[in-house]
Amino acid sequence: MSLNDILSLLRISLHAMVPITLTAIGEVVGETAGLFNIGLEGILLISAFVGALGAEMGGPAVGLLMGIGTGAAVGFLFSVISTYWKGTQMVTGIGINLFALGFVAFGLIQLGAPGFHDVPTAVSVAKWRTPMGAMSPLILAALVMPFLVYWFLKRTRAGLMLKAAGEAPEAADVAGINVNRIRVLATTFGGALAGLGGAYMSVAWMGLITKEFSAGRGFISLACVVFSGLNPLLALLGGFIFGFFQGLAEWVKTLPAKPIPSQFVSMLPYIVTLLVVSGAIGRVRFPKAIGVPYKRE
Amino acid sequence: MREEKQRPPAGNGYFLRAEGITKVYSDGTVAVKDAQLEIHPREILGMLGENGAGKTTLTKILSGLLPPTKGRVISPRGPVKFASPREALDFGIGMVHQHFALVGTFTAAENVALSHERPFTRIQLARTKKRLERLMEESGLRVPLDVPVEKLAVGEQQRVEVLKVLSREVDLLILDEPTSVLTPLEVDELFALLSRLKDAEKSIILITHKLKEVQSITDRIVVLRHGEMVGDVRTVDATTEQLAHLMVGEALEEEADAVELSDEELPTHKERGEARRSGEGLLHVVDLTAKGNTGEIAVDGVSFDVYAREIFGIAGVEGNGQTELVESLTGLRVPIKGTATIEGFNILGKDPREIYRLGVAHIPEDRWELGLVLPFTLAENAILGVHRWEEFRGPLSFLRWRKINQHVRQLMDRFEIQATGPSAPAKSLSGGNQQKLIVGRELAKDPAIIVAAQPTRGLDIGAAHYIRQTLLEMRDNGRAILLVSADLDEVLALSDRVAIMYEGKFMTVCSPADLDRETVGMLMGGVTAKEAA
Amino acid sequence: MSGTKGASQSRFLRGVHRTLTGLHPALESLLAGVVGLLIGAILMYIWGFDPWKAYLALFKGAYGGSYEFSSSLARGTPLILTALTFSICLRAGMFNIGAEGQMYMGGIASVCVALFVLPPGLHQIVGLIFAAFAGAVWSLVPAFLKLTRGVHEVISTIMFNWIARWLALYIAIFLLVDPRRAEKTLSIPVSARFPVLVRGTDLSYTIFLSIAFALVIYFILWHTTVGYEVRAAGLNPTAARYGGIKNKRTMFLSFVLGGVAAGLAGATIVMGLPPTYAIYGGGALPQLTNLGFDGMAVAMVGRNHPIGIIVAALFFGGLNAGGRVMQFYGSNPVPLEMVRVVMGAIVLAMSIPELIRLFPMLKKQGTEFIELLRRIGRRKDRRQSA
Repeated sequence: MSLNDILSLLRISLHAMVPITLTAIGEVVGETAGLFNIGLEGILLISAFVGALGAEMGGPAVGLLMGIGTGAAVGFLFSVISTYWKGTQMVTGIGINLFALGFVAFGLIQLGAPGFHDVPTAVSVAKWRTPMGAMSPLILAALVMPFLVYWFLKRTRAGLMLKAAGEAPEAADVAGINVNRIRVLATTFGGALAGLGGAYMSVAWMGLITKEFSAGRGFISLACVVFSGLNPLLALLGGFIFGFFQGLAEWVKTLPAKPIPSQFVSMLPYIVTLLVVSGAIGRVRFPKAIGVPYKRE
Repeated sequence: MREEKQRPPAGNGYFLRAEGITKVYSDGTVAVKDAQLEIHPREILGMLGENGAGKTTLTKILSGLLPPTKGRVISPRGPVKFASPREALDFGIGMVHQHFALVGTFTAAENVALSHERPFTRIQLARTKKRLERLMEESGLRVPLDVPVEKLAVGEQQRVEVLKVLSREVDLLILDEPTSVLTPLEVDELFALLSRLKDAEKSIILITHKLKEVQSITDRIVVLRHGEMVGDVRTVDATTEQLAHLMVGEALEEEADAVELSDEELPTHKERGEARRSGEGLLHVVDLTAKGNTGEIAVDGVSFDVYAREIFGIAGVEGNGQTELVESLTGLRVPIKGTATIEGFNILGKDPREIYRLGVAHIPEDRWELGLVLPFTLAENAILGVHRWEEFRGPLSFLRWRKINQHVRQLMDRFEIQATGPSAPAKSLSGGNQQKLIVGRELAKDPAIIVAAQPTRGLDIGAAHYIRQTLLEMRDNGRAILLVSADLDEVLALSDRVAIMYEGKFMTVCSPADLDRETVGMLMGGVTAKEAA
Repeated sequence: MSGTKGASQSRFLRGVHRTLTGLHPALESLLAGVVGLLIGAILMYIWGFDPWKAYLALFKGAYGGSYEFSSSLARGTPLILTALTFSICLRAGMFNIGAEGQMYMGGIASVCVALFVLPPGLHQIVGLIFAAFAGAVWSLVPAFLKLTRGVHEVISTIMFNWIARWLALYIAIFLLVDPRRAEKTLSIPVSARFPVLVRGTDLSYTIFLSIAFALVIYFILWHTTVGYEVRAAGLNPTAARYGGIKNKRTMFLSFVLGGVAAGLAGATIVMGLPPTYAIYGGGALPQLTNLGFDGMAVAMVGRNHPIGIIVAALFFGGLNAGGRVMQFYGSNPVPLEMVRVVMGAIVLAMSIPELIRLFPMLKKQGTEFIELLRRIGRRKDRRQSA
């Protein structure tokens, strides 16, 4: 492998890291507050779609913003259902995934071609020229976000409130914290980050969108969250690891001589995720009240 | 910190007055009905009542945790309304809950900081700690500040709760059943603190169901029954009988007697078994040692025998290893050392089912977590643990529902379980009936040994009385009963021999007749018999 | 007042009362279904379609005639099984969302019957056994991971879904491929196919397989000690332990049964879907795709009960069948994918407990009506005993 190959691999990995890291960081915040959102997959998908639409309508910035907005909106819906309406989080998450699958497939047909749609380069987020090749600026966002969130959770009282809401909602309530409101805010934020990740995928990275665009990334992000034990910095590491293997898969596909059938290469990220998660469990501890809606009486 | 104008001036007659407070929950239960209450400064008010009388609900309304359905709360400056506990704290009302409102993974300092500063500032932990240390000096409550609260002992956790409330400089301090987790020594310390607070012009509401306690420390007593305020007397004017009758109302004399019973140690109508036995008991335990959930030794080399035709009681404040001991004997925990044999067979480390087969019944201390599957019907719960026995299981593992339903109906008859039928969901039953179902189920196994842990916890007087009678019957019937209860009076009243458990060890094993309350108190608090003498 | 007439009347009223309150979960599903369809209608309207025409086409295509009805049943057949996968494990307290992958493996496994010759009858049974086995194995690995390493089954089963998809594709394209038509696998021989139930439709005898399996599961769960233990462990693992139930065993068992169900679902497609009786590769296994996830929706709408699941599967099967008609109907037809949107909306609506609470008027009327019945019943009782 030449230096070029290594840089190329690194570049692809960093790009692949972004949606996973952003989504995982968002979910770290949400799970710290006590909500377990398995609808991340659907959020990624639907934000990628809306982001693409937005970019075509108003340019890359609009695309990204609309993606963030969509993610926030879905996150908001999920959290309201799970808190104020005492919904079952698992079921709601599955519902979001199903809905997004249908919605995006449906929407793609409306746009002309069933199953995929190209996003013109003119409205994509421009990549920067670096020694490593063309890199998206959003990679920076993915690198910086974890540190911001880490500081927020550890050093501000709001972070403390979040942890209290997830760990012991009754105590938080007595301390005057509005548990439901905190959870809604946290998960909306998480959704917004996932939305950014989704929009990034269509508008800043791949330049297209397909029917099953998210390809399990939402769940890989969840695995990343588990791996991180709700530590944002570890989530960054996890995102890079998963991104690396996705990049590896892509990179192998570009090789002229194919050592293994492409199907097995495609399996690689998922197998790796499985291995990492299997190895990581046991030492992590999750907020006690996660997944359970909080009732006051 | 807090605006002065919200605080009512001292010496103005009353601090707070509740008028016509009614609380109806969304499922229709009336928790509190038309309660009137006046709270004065420089007074300790006792709130008495059974489980479910409405004491906790009323005080939750006062402390801002719940809104009343009807009625209002007024201060000398006008009506007050609290939308959250925080507003109540700002006003000067703080509550120490029965089940602590602490975040386990936070330290004491972090827990206090949680209720103080504004959201986005950096946590001023250092300042909070300094403030807390000053507070600890003044109040005499000492607690490690940098340990995650979940690692502290229960008594220490409660101190953190009190500190948390005191650090907000409240004028009204409400304590909900504070002494249930304290040793007698710690209770004395707490009461001394309350006296000091009273002298500092504060008001205190002490919620309790213990008659002796309420008479010892309070100035005034209010009694709640089924959500209504049925009595408001000065402590000096009230007698135990009066209070007992107010608590249970126009009930049978028997019930009122039962309440008084709990105040006496030696009821005369029960015959005691022999205090001294020889040979091996039906249940023979040697050097049982077990670890708790946090990895520390919970049961420390305990040895004892339980004989047929006796009730062996284990007394002590909860959290001293009783739970782990019961779990070890019933297959729910694997001890690290020791043996427990029933006629030669060692039951330690065995499966619950095998242990049941050997003739052991287990009435668990937590009927919701352990004893019942609440969404299941009565019938389904009635076979829990015995669902594989031949009488209920047909060929190919099919369940014989007809037989099972018949069996349940018999249980319902015999134990007077009030329910609509065998297919009623268990969660629709009252606590007393649920417990009777469990007792019935366990006794239907025709056990030689009955392990009863906290069998009357949370039950109304009638149900508790019934359960106690049943245990006595079983004893007279020739069974061996191991009774574990945090209710000291219950254990002393029912047991033929009693052991006092402290930090995993038995402090003493003797007949209840040989003990006086003071000695018991000290033993429960870890003072050895020699030191006590 | 004299006895028997009054007694039977009040008993009747009590029966009505009990039915109405017992029916409550079914009513909730109905309400969620309506809400889902409503949301679909709104979306259709926004995108410029005519919701009325679309739904008309949908329902005609689903239940309009015997052909349509058979089509709906055929679409519902695999859904019963994948729904059971999710449902059985949910009863045991687990979230097995791997029906998709387990079904792929089951489908691929059943194609293997094309590799040897057997008499009919036996051939089908062997095919089913292959499929069940493959599904069970695929389901057991996540179970094993959960038991030994505590890996959350949501993540592991999803990963296995994706792995299965690529693995199945590989096998379909390279190992079991039809030498004459590379985009599909070998077709299974006639001796292994399930005969068609209604001539001219694609409904085969596999529907009986699905329904029978559902009934078997019902009996297991509610009428055997094994099923009792599974349910107890799912509802309260601590009490189950107290009752001497080995929770690890019940968990394993539920995953095995779930995997079997999903594997069989794959088999019903391969062995029961005319005209090809094979699996198309085509990049995404189009005949099988999404049946696993749809099964989850079916399980939820069916209130996690085998009987409810059968009914719900018919409904969802109808949505799928009707959707295929709807997408060709009229001048501005609504694409098939709208059906999935409606399904997602239904599941979302289902996730809100007491949906009725959000419609206060409805709840008020409902509880008032029940109160009325209760009062009538009581008055009759009192008059009797007087």
